[in-house]
Amino acid sequence: MPGLVIEHLSKTLGGRLVVEDLSLRVEPGELVCLLGPSGCGKTTTLRMIGGFIPPDGGSISIDGVDVSGVPPERRPTAMVFQSYALWPHMSVFKNVAYGLKLRRLPKPEIERRVEAMLALVNLSDKGARRPAQLSGGEQQRVALARALVLEPSLLLLDEPLSNLDAKLRVGVREEIREIQQRLGIATVFVTHDQDEALAISDRVAVMSGGRIEQFDEPAALYRRPATTFVAGFIGAMSMFEGAVGSDGVRLGQAVQVPFAAPIPVAAAMGGGAAEGWTIGVRPEDVLVKPARPGGRSRATARVLKQIPHGHYRELVLGLDGLEDTRLRAFVAADAPLGDHLEVSIARALLYHEGRLAHEVCGQDRVRVDARAAVATP
Amino acid sequence: MTTTAERTATSRLEAPPGGRPRQARRPTGGYGLGRVALVVGVCVLVIFIFGPILWLMLWAFAGIWHYPALLPQRWSLSWWRQVFDYPQLVRSVGLSFTFAPVVMAVSAVVCLPAAYALARFPVPGRRTMLVVLFAANAFPKIGLYITIAGLFYALHLMGTFFGVVLIQLLGTIVFMTWIPAAAFASVPRALEDAARDVGAGRVRVFLTVTLPLAAPGILVALVLSFLASLDEAQGTFLVGVPRYVTMPVQMYSLVSDYPPQAAAVFAVLLSIPSVVLMLLVRRHVLGGSLAKGFEIR
Amino acid sequence: MKAALRRGGYLLAASPPVALVALFIGVPIAVTVIYTLGHLGGPNAAVSSIALHQVSAGDRLLTFGAYREVFDEPNFRADLVATVWVTAASVGIVLLLAWTIALFARLSGRRVAGILTSLAVVPLFIPVVIGSYAILQFWSYGGFMKTIAHAVGLSGFPALGFTLGGVVLAEVWVSLPFAVLMISSGLQAVPDSVFEAARDAGASTLQAAWSILLPMNLLPTIIATCFTGISILGSFTVPYLVGPTSPNLLGPLATETFQSFNQPQQAEVMSMVIFGLAIVVALPYLWATYRSNRDTATS
Repeated sequence: MPGLVIEHLSKTLGGRLVVEDLSLRVEPGELVCLLGPSGCGKTTTLRMIGGFIPPDGGSISIDGVDVSGVPPERRPTAMVFQSYALWPHMSVFKNVAYGLKLRRLPKPEIERRVEAMLALVNLSDKGARRPAQLSGGEQQRVALARALVLEPSLLLLDEPLSNLDAKLRVGVREEIREIQQRLGIATVFVTHDQDEALAISDRVAVMSGGRIEQFDEPAALYRRPATTFVAGFIGAMSMFEGAVGSDGVRLGQAVQVPFAAPIPVAAAMGGGAAEGWTIGVRPEDVLVKPARPGGRSRATARVLKQIPHGHYRELVLGLDGLEDTRLRAFVAADAPLGDHLEVSIARALLYHEGRLAHEVCGQDRVRVDARAAVATP
Repeated sequence: MTTTAERTATSRLEAPPGGRPRQARRPTGGYGLGRVALVVGVCVLVIFIFGPILWLMLWAFAGIWHYPALLPQRWSLSWWRQVFDYPQLVRSVGLSFTFAPVVMAVSAVVCLPAAYALARFPVPGRRTMLVVLFAANAFPKIGLYITIAGLFYALHLMGTFFGVVLIQLLGTIVFMTWIPAAAFASVPRALEDAARDVGAGRVRVFLTVTLPLAAPGILVALVLSFLASLDEAQGTFLVGVPRYVTMPVQMYSLVSDYPPQAAAVFAVLLSIPSVVLMLLVRRHVLGGSLAKGFEIR
Repeated sequence: MKAALRRGGYLLAASPPVALVALFIGVPIAVTVIYTLGHLGGPNAAVSSIALHQVSAGDRLLTFGAYREVFDEPNFRADLVATVWVTAASVGIVLLLAWTIALFARLSGRRVAGILTSLAVVPLFIPVVIGSYAILQFWSYGGFMKTIAHAVGLSGFPALGFTLGGVVLAEVWVSLPFAVLMISSGLQAVPDSVFEAARDAGASTLQAAWSILLPMNLLPTIIATCFTGISILGSFTVPYLVGPTSPNLLGPLATETFQSFNQPQQAEVMSMVIFGLAIVVALPYLWATYRSNRDTATS
């Protein structure tokens, strides 16, 4: 079976279960991100793939070969370390050539391949430098070249961009993606930065507490987070405890936020009770317009905060009659709005016991998410 | 370049007596008093540290020198000739430079693997080991040598080459273990992991990555152990005399039995290797390789 | 099983220096202890057969006779006081000098720092025999300091050769490098921002040094104090060459008691006294490393 296959991997470190029954497949040529907050087990997983930590249970195979007991130097993997781990006593050229020398390649062959690789990462003129004489971005590219020059079956990247400044980070991640696609190399990329993960991955595995919460394409991940954890971790999401009716979402006792278009929710949910849901709403699914004085049965809200984001503006709204509930909305940067608005919802995600059960949506009525286990309360 | 006096005068204007300037551009270099204190302090330090050595070097070339002349009344190289003509002294030089490298090498063989193990592996009782090494250092050498004599007689080590090596070795163990252990520990594991990742085995990783990066600390320890052997007199006297009279042992008799010139010549001879070694490792010593070794982790 | 084997392997790799120290330092210390407590046979038979004037425990478990005898000697008590005094004074001066040098080095530019510490570290590389002899010549009657003092009309300037003051000077000279290295490398490790934050909050340079740098640099300071103190307590070469014959320091006294008077038991009692003092000096060091290790373990 080509690519990386991880099955039922687990690891306890210092008495704590760091990775718990984790299974994952990475197809050839695919870039997969392991995304999660610090301590979620993503780096431990990566280090187990690289062979630096022996797993307690489960198996790892690469291109159909079980590598579980194989030491790192004999695995077809190459790793880019968070701190780059460039050897400070060797020149850039020697850093890249080191692994080829170990393979006893003829000297001209080593030179050819190292130079080709340095050219690929735009460092042809820096081969004689020591790592300490390079900028952070350049060091990063040396680390990448050192990993790629061995033509590994699997490239492992451990938060490779976390030591770069914000602007450089965007440039380098695009470079990495471009090189990865050009070489068609299967890649596992560990990061805690959701923008990074969504921007460059074919698929993203969101991790928490040593488990994979959701493994999906970036767009799907954003559009339909499978659990409340993913919903809260990726992008902005307003979350409420509440009830759902065909004409809107009920929060607390009194406040009803209507759907932008009427949705026969109860029917779609199999006639079950509409109570006891966690309701998630993305800011772009919140529609606002200036409140009309005397309008009835409409939800209104006060603008508490405005956060400019350049081409759009984020509003933090406090619903009238439910002062401690916060609802976020995106509006155009120059939209002329007062500080009292009328609110409606175009799309909402309904979670039960932490898992996504329904997506309710104005355009195509109700869509029941097939992946999420439906449990009627 | 302005003189110190001028600089002092101008900066006094900026900083009136008693008034601390709110913002000095550089903490000490920016205003007068600090500058003067620094210059005076450096001068005193130079005299305190180098004065005795230079004074002794003058003695090595003095023919006649009576108080209160600041320099010898007559210069001479005769004491150099005398020292080199005295076979016992020449032999002691040879002996010292035999023992020093041997002690250094044995110490390295005994201590370096242990230093690596203490730095990298969860050795059971690790902390206790480091503290035991330290405690051994606190017992005065003379007390040790008296009872060690009994042990050495029993092991037939008295008066032997190996006995001298052993007694000198004991003084090198603490820093030969501690300093390299700290040096090994300060090599980031990621650098070793990266080498294994591209295909190097454990031994090769050690030889091509860990060892070169820990080299400064190891070098400092080697040099210190070389110097310790070159400096050791009490134990060598006890174990080695009369067959193995090294330079420092010889130095004691020179000091009490000869005029200062003889001891001075000998002292200069004995210092030359030290100065060469100092120039070799000064950078690393100042860089903290030595200091790191003494914080037990 | 495999894990136990691996742990055994680590232990084996780490053990040679400890084994050597245990055999050639640990065992002698243990033998010394029982010898000073009146046991003359067994491992002490060789030494005691040629020794003069020993106190035997006989059939008793132990006797403090040898200790009592040594402490009853007024000269010994004077030498003990002199040793403690010289050690305290030398350690005090070394710390003061080392802190001043390290502080200057820390607060000045890189160049000044390099010069200062380079200077202070030189004695580390000069054999102690030579250093002591050079200092004796330099500060004695007929030495540089007397000559200069004479030239400027200070004929009352003391000749420090063969005085306890001279011993203190020489001990400071010998011990300075280590203390400077410890303290300055500790100070260099304190980030600028921490110090600047204190200045920003309104502390003067000295206040900031006192309230920020000193506490943050406590461990290196304690290490410097303990190692300097221990090495001065047991030192032989410096007081032997530079010091007076009376009062003597315990190091040369013990050596003389053994080599000139052939009284190894009394010499060992003195060694035990030095060892006892050294342990007292070492306590803050052990406490501080214990504490810093515990702190890093929990954080």
